[in-house]
Amino acid sequence: MSLLRVERVSRHFGSLVAVDGVSLTVEPGELRAVIGPNGAGKTTFFNLISGFFPPTSGKIFLDDRDITAASSHRRVDMGIARTFQITEIFPELTVRENLRIPAEVAQGLRLRPWLARADDERVRARVDELLEMGGLADKADRLVGELPHGDQRSTEIMMALALKPRLLLLDEPTAGMGDRETYDITTLVRSLHRDQKLAIVLIEHDMRVVFHLADRIMVLAEGAVLAEGTPDEIAANERVQEAYLGKAA
Amino acid sequence: MSEVNRKLAMLAAIWAALILAPLWMPLVGGYTALGTRVMVLGLAAMSVNFLLGFTGVLSFGHAAWFGLGAYGCGLLLKFVALSTPLGLLAGTLLGGVMGGLLGALIVRRRGVYFAMVTIAFGQVFYYIAFQWSSLTGGDDGLRPFYRQPLHLGVATVDILHDSTAFYYFVLVCFAFAVAAMAFILRSPFGRTMLAIRENERRARFLGIPVEMHIWIAFTLSCFFMAFAGSLYALVNNFADPRGLHYSQSGDFVMMAVLGGMRTFWGPLLGAVVFVMLQDYISSITINWQIFIGLFYVACVLFFPRGVLGILRRKATT
Amino acid sequence: MRDRMIQLLLFNVTNGLIIGAFYVLMAIGLSLILNLSNVINFAHGGFLVIGGYIAYTLEPYLGFWGALVASPFLTAIIGLAVERLLISRVYGRDPLYGLLLTFGLAFVFEDGTRIIWGAQGKPFTIPAFLSQPLSNQFFFITGYRVFMVAMVTVMIALLFLLLRFTRAGIRIRAGTLDLETVAVLGVNARALRSLNFAVGIFLAGLSGVLAGGQLGLEPTMGAGLLMPSFIAIIVGGVGSLVGTLVGGLLIGVASGVTAVILPPASEAIMYVLMAVVLLVRPRGLFGEEGMLT
Repeated sequence: MSLLRVERVSRHFGSLVAVDGVSLTVEPGELRAVIGPNGAGKTTFFNLISGFFPPTSGKIFLDDRDITAASSHRRVDMGIARTFQITEIFPELTVRENLRIPAEVAQGLRLRPWLARADDERVRARVDELLEMGGLADKADRLVGELPHGDQRSTEIMMALALKPRLLLLDEPTAGMGDRETYDITTLVRSLHRDQKLAIVLIEHDMRVVFHLADRIMVLAEGAVLAEGTPDEIAANERVQEAYLGKAA
Repeated sequence: MSEVNRKLAMLAAIWAALILAPLWMPLVGGYTALGTRVMVLGLAAMSVNFLLGFTGVLSFGHAAWFGLGAYGCGLLLKFVALSTPLGLLAGTLLGGVMGGLLGALIVRRRGVYFAMVTIAFGQVFYYIAFQWSSLTGGDDGLRPFYRQPLHLGVATVDILHDSTAFYYFVLVCFAFAVAAMAFILRSPFGRTMLAIRENERRARFLGIPVEMHIWIAFTLSCFFMAFAGSLYALVNNFADPRGLHYSQSGDFVMMAVLGGMRTFWGPLLGAVVFVMLQDYISSITINWQIFIGLFYVACVLFFPRGVLGILRRKATT
Repeated sequence: MRDRMIQLLLFNVTNGLIIGAFYVLMAIGLSLILNLSNVINFAHGGFLVIGGYIAYTLEPYLGFWGALVASPFLTAIIGLAVERLLISRVYGRDPLYGLLLTFGLAFVFEDGTRIIWGAQGKPFTIPAFLSQPLSNQFFFITGYRVFMVAMVTVMIALLFLLLRFTRAGIRIRAGTLDLETVAVLGVNARALRSLNFAVGIFLAGLSGVLAGGQLGLEPTMGAGLLMPSFIAIIVGGVGSLVGTLVGGLLIGVASGVTAVILPPASEAIMYVLMAVVLLVRPRGLFGEEGMLT
């Protein structure tokens, strides 16, 4: 049984077709990349999977359960977490506080008016664990809004991870980063994939990252699937090469 | 001084000032009953801030719940039972429950639209209080009713005639409410409120059902507000339709902004300053309205972070 | 007997439409400002009062018609000044500050009017021929009321034409949907907002003159008209001028009709309408639809 099955979803905005009959299947533990030029509909596709808005047509299944009509917070409960193209964090809270909130949600504590000692300790331990994993331990008590872009990104990824997702959607995690930061984020994602055995779907423009990480790649153009396959197959695909790889591998 | 110690010191100072107020107030030209009044208004401002400063929700008609609390308390004391605790309970429930019900209607809206509807809600109750004069006394307000002595088993406290005893009664109520607020804000739920304020989209994609949490925060703040309103009825032995008017809402919001919207104690400080200012101005001119208006304008343009907001900034830089 | 009932109903519906027309004039100005600049202009009632009093002051020199024409423009100029100097400073900030600012301004205007012109009500004379009823049968339709409705209709029609066909109008409409994009396309967003605000205040000023003729002038008259304007916008749907138009007429008529059936409830009915709309169609009758399309 696949983890995620997206069946021919489309999304129209008036007469604009942003996503056109795209299908995708993700197995547990896979790392997929979605690439394509700007405006190809990649983020809209993510928005459909994460429940930002419903598809105009098509269906989405998680573990064979139809989640097409499920709200975004329901989908989080069911195991989908995402990051955004423009980093979305809580700027005037510390890193620790940023991580604490999803950790509490994941443990079902979000409505609690108070925390028992045992629960509190468990949440703290989890947050410390996440801080270590993300390389943020030394910045834990700083306001996220004041950190450099790369650390904000890492925080956002760790926030998503705090939710104990089974499927992680990363929207251009290395956007706007220099080589060093790109390397750090790539390493982080790879270790997450390997150690947490998460399924990850990644939107990326940086081809080095894509070819380094992905098991399979899907190429979107003008809202539809242009090609799909292993990195080698995609690299060899002439249509993809000519239109979209540009400076790549 | 470390951050924690500074906070503890501030807390100690605040509570010391509150507990000793009947002693130092006359020394600065004040009197105990004024302190009681300011404390209750401060609680109201803190209740608004619970929603405004900590969840980021713009409710500009919150005086409605304050007024409902006052009327609930007064009506109970006048028509049903001569019991202060019951009066408080009645007022708190009336305002809180109405707030919860109406809040459910508008929880999907945000920003200015939400504000508009809360203002309209407030006016509905103002209108009812005005028109239903057989029950509420209309424009003249609800009277007579009086706060009743407290029978504590071991002693009876005459809070009607002994203004110091009443002050401490209100202080106990205040402490109780404030503790509850602080508790909630420090809890996981309170953290979700902050999350919603900081970045609603992010909160939603972290699995927080935003509308539900906003509704809960809204309802809680209505309960606190109604509690403050009930106390206010006891302070004046009187309930007034003007307490429901959106200008009263504006005053409470202004107190929160003036003191520092994102701080816990700011609104109390704001209440102190605002009441002092209002009393002073209205004693020297009948055109106090224009000065209050100018004050609002000045605050918004030059002082948006409020007193504590500025102090806090200075401390962390 | 039936005739009396019909007369009464007609009287109240017509009354309602007249009141409604009035609400529309106020509410549309408020709506314009809200839609483009995201500011709830609490001071709108204050501008109404200023408009009325300016007309009162000018009347001895310019006569009724002169005052009628001059006052809205002068009021709009004041509005422009207020917008440039004060309100523009809170654009882009938390909407809370816009609210508090206009709130404070409302106080300033009301008291300011009181200081300048005194707290007593002032009469505002209208030309004699207008105060005559049109016919004995329809005694309640005075010339002035017809004139008011005619004025409102002309103004609203003008506004809609302006918004549809002039460059500025088109930009305002586009800006309501997405001001950032419009600005990026080279339109001066600042000037647009100022113009839009001035138009809204013009309408408020005009409302003041018309109200003055009907009810006389008083410093507190603005506040009473603010709430119905709010409700007209909520009922009609935020973001839609057509909605505001319909909303205003609806609550006016509802108010008029209720006055026949249950007089004390005629003011409450608009709150009831609002509650119904919120329950059944929270975004309002024409909500989120954009303007005039």
